[in-house]
Amino acid sequence: QLDHGCALHTAARGGLSSVSPQEVPAERPRAVFHTSESDPAKHTEQHEGRLYDIPLEEVKAVFPHGLPYRFQQQIKTFNEARVMVRRPALELLAYLKGSNLAHPAVRYVIYGERGTGKTMTLCHVVHYCSRQGWLVLHIPDAHLWVKNCKELLQSSYNKDRLDQPLQASVWLKNFKTSNEHFLREIKTQKKYTWGKRESTEEGRPLGEVVEQGLARVRSASDAVGVVLREIKQQSHRGSFRLLVAVDGVNALWGRTTLRKEDKSPVSPEELTLVHNLRKMVRNDWSGGAIVTTLSQTGSLFQPSSAYTPHKLLGREGFDALDPFVPIPVANYSPREFESCYGYYLERKWLQHEKAHTEDGKAELQFLSGSNPRQLDRLAGPL
Amino acid sequence: MAAPSAAGLGWRLRAWLPRIMPVRWNRYNPSYLEPEVKKESYQKPLEELTEEEREQRELKAVRPIKAAPPTLSSSVFSDPMISKFTNMMMKSGNKVLARSLMSQTLEAIKRKQLEKYHKAPENEKETIECNPYVIFHQALKNCQPIIGLTNITKGGKTYQVPVPLTDNRKRFLAMKWLITECRENKHRRTMMPEKLSQELLLAFNNEGPVIKKKHVLHKMAEANRAYAHFRWW
Repeated sequence: QLDHGCALHTAARGGLSSVSPQEVPAERPRAVFHTSESDPAKHTEQHEGRLYDIPLEEVKAVFPHGLPYRFQQQIKTFNEARVMVRRPALELLAYLKGSNLAHPAVRYVIYGERGTGKTMTLCHVVHYCSRQGWLVLHIPDAHLWVKNCKELLQSSYNKDRLDQPLQASVWLKNFKTSNEHFLREIKTQKKYTWGKRESTEEGRPLGEVVEQGLARVRSASDAVGVVLREIKQQSHRGSFRLLVAVDGVNALWGRTTLRKEDKSPVSPEELTLVHNLRKMVRNDWSGGAIVTTLSQTGSLFQPSSAYTPHKLLGREGFDALDPFVPIPVANYSPREFESCYGYYLERKWLQHEKAHTEDGKAELQFLSGSNPRQLDRLAGPL
Repeated sequence: MAAPSAAGLGWRLRAWLPRIMPVRWNRYNPSYLEPEVKKESYQKPLEELTEEEREQRELKAVRPIKAAPPTLSSSVFSDPMISKFTNMMMKSGNKVLARSLMSQTLEAIKRKQLEKYHKAPENEKETIECNPYVIFHQALKNCQPIIGLTNITKGGKTYQVPVPLTDNRKRFLAMKWLITECRENKHRRTMMPEKLSQELLLAFNNEGPVIKKKHVLHKMAEANRAYAHFRWW
């Protein structure tokens, strides 16, 4: 019957043998499940199961949107953002490091059961790419674009399509916060006319298109389309590397809950935002990568037991995304569970006196089934 | 032909039904024993048990055991006071909703206290209590009245007479006041966990409307001291 302290020591003994001396900082003996390496580029299998820290300013700059809500609450309570390094993320980072940017973009689809950490894996990859200086096109949840839309305008560009001004303007605002310097460097290659008096000349920085979209909310969806088009056309030149990160990509090929004014249902390709995003996710451009996540949680008209790409994407989506590299994400391994449990104890998140005992830990492991989301929800009231 | 035989069948069947039908309570034969849920009691070796406990063990081998109610749990995290409070919060049997509200309340209390803890300077950190269960129990204890009032009719007039309260009644009154306060005096858009966590934290510090209600009751009892002899039990 191992004592809690003993368990840490055995883990330390097992961990230290594979860890080089400079990993464990000598001044402050932080526990084994932390790592001081906050650059995702240097994460290797040694760091598997450990939590690395993202400085809060970086969190605000890199993730204006995209982090799960409970994780944002956790950042606010603990005053730090700690992300666990897990095997699927390490696999993806290895692929990205070894990818040839002259070839067409490779598509990666992260899939797994509910609450296993797909969005966090995506956020890890986004952090790596923004540290490496890539242009990150992060769509936090594609499901938000196909449901609960209060305003649907008929698009001025194409009579058959529908615009979503609110969603587009929110996304443009967040895109501006995360990629300020790129918007100054990339120049438009065509003249765009927004209305009778407004137009953007050729050769103006892309930031102006974004400002236009934010100022005139009616043309925000068209501004998004222009931004996506320009970035895609210029990515092959090699001046910047592009990462398209879409969370909940199965929303693009499913059904919507939106209706037109004559109460007929709207299919996804009739929405400008979805149409442009579908063009982005095709692999007819080079100079970057496309990393996507499947999500059943926000999806429409999908049974809750569906988690495989075949079930969630449907035939149309699978054919559109085919060929892709599937990356499965599973529940916590025993080591990762120990690490998460130890972190909660250290941050005083588990306050119940029985939670510190072996019985409490065994009960938490059993009740959550080592599922990250269930563990988080169970540890909340404890 | 059908009518007389149906009547005869009903009369014969009715004879062996118990005289009172249990509704919302259960009626066991007195030989049935209570179920034992705690793991520790089964892990004790035979030598450590006292005489009575050994007798109980032997009885368990022969006597039948009552069915365990769904609220009885062998989890190390279960707390009878919290279960009682959740049951009182429950409306139309929706235990799932009541339990989730309770867990969200405890989480809200924990978050507020942890934020305060991390922002406080080093010397004040020990004074801040972060355990939501400790806060809950202390808040309930602070809300319990010591003495209550009851109506006694004497000579045609009804008097409010101060009377001692049992432990159960005190606990019930504290929980009832908290829940009614949170249900009635909150803004339409505030969620129950948020309001409850606020009230619990105030009661923990001996402030807030529930503590005030308790003090009002105490003052009334003190004012009606003259009628205390009307009580005959």
